[in-house]
Amino acid sequence: MTDMLTYPDVVQLAVPFFIAAILIELLWIVIKKRGGRYETRDAVTSLIMGAGNVVSGILLGFIAWGFFMVLWGITPLDLGTSWWVVALCFVLDDLRYYWVHRFGHRIRWVWASHVNHHSSQHYNLTTALRQTWTGTFTFMMIIRAPLILLGFHPAMVLFCGGLNLIYQFWIHTEAIGRMPRWFEAVMNTPSHHRVHHGRNPRYLDANYAGVFIIWDKMFGTFVPEDDKEKVDFGLVHNLGTFNPLRVAFHEWIGIFKDVTQPGISWKDRFSYAFAPPGWSHDGSRQTSEMIKERHNRANKSASGS
Amino acid sequence: MPITVLAALVAFGIAGIAVLTVLFGFNKRRSFIDADDAGRAWLREFPDLEPRDITLSQDGCHALVQTDQGAGIVWSMGADSAARLLTGARVKQSTEGLDIRLRDYTAPRIRAALTPDQQTIWLNRIKDTP
Repeated sequence: MTDMLTYPDVVQLAVPFFIAAILIELLWIVIKKRGGRYETRDAVTSLIMGAGNVVSGILLGFIAWGFFMVLWGITPLDLGTSWWVVALCFVLDDLRYYWVHRFGHRIRWVWASHVNHHSSQHYNLTTALRQTWTGTFTFMMIIRAPLILLGFHPAMVLFCGGLNLIYQFWIHTEAIGRMPRWFEAVMNTPSHHRVHHGRNPRYLDANYAGVFIIWDKMFGTFVPEDDKEKVDFGLVHNLGTFNPLRVAFHEWIGIFKDVTQPGISWKDRFSYAFAPPGWSHDGSRQTSEMIKERHNRANKSASGS
Repeated sequence: MPITVLAALVAFGIAGIAVLTVLFGFNKRRSFIDADDAGRAWLREFPDLEPRDITLSQDGCHALVQTDQGAGIVWSMGADSAARLLTGARVKQSTEGLDIRLRDYTAPRIRAALTPDQQTIWLNRIKDTP
């Protein structure tokens, strides 16, 4: 069994490319006067969140790595390192990404980590780098366990995860309208991912894909971008701060306050942590499902009248 | 990549992009054109809570609204906007305007530039919010 296998840290190696691409997008917007928007404080917050994500990976990465190596020690399977194994690992890890991402929007505990990625009201390449600092505490590394138990080496799985993240960088832009039809059919694209970042009711909780949009089509979460309804980027309730600490931790604080409030049952406390974001014991808040339902009802009655 | 090179790249990258956005004028704060503009920004956050009696601040970056649930404020967040109800807000007067503190981790402090006359009007309206 291969214990010592190393792959390059592709995300770190891609940092110069990220910076160059942001500069190109910025210049494109300035010269063409279209293709997106930039705002200084928003962009700086996103970039600091990205830097913090790298630091958090360096400081806490050993937890996931240790867990994966324990699994690797348990499994009798070893698929080796041939190219087709790497390719298969990439596809299966993308399926893993789809589910982690879906959980990230449907379970408040995971949303607390992921919410910061959606907290910008802009959608440009800096938004791609607005990444979590607290991903380790969601314990979503468990979703990678089957891959390792099936015989994919942990280093390979992380390498594929890094490639996945790099792929997703370029789709965070308004500078690209639509890709060729065949590409839009199979791959995640700027158009599909704009929908994912939308706060419009019809766009909520859609297009969770990382690289291949086919997962959304398979599992019923695909929503195409509608040219008649421009995407409004951000959160249902947008943040009133650019402070990176508040961006990183606000939902965790929210969970803590909700869970520890007096006068509610233990079931309510559990639900405040693990039910979909927006759940409340007294119905005073709205989940994305409720928002969508209300929107659909209003649209139906408007078109019926 | 050595960590020192990575750190330098990240630091200079962030600083460089920030400087460029300033040079291109992308650091300008949104200012609401009029009460209707501020009302639209309010409805973007609270689509079910119709705003009334919208009063813009001196610089147009803040607007006080009245709703069925009490007073609220909508303000510019960079090029965009955010809005909150003023339930439980603590308000302090200063020479420049009002310093509003909310019990909200995602919007802890809002500083609205107001003339002394506007301050009085805003304070009276905020006072009635539970």
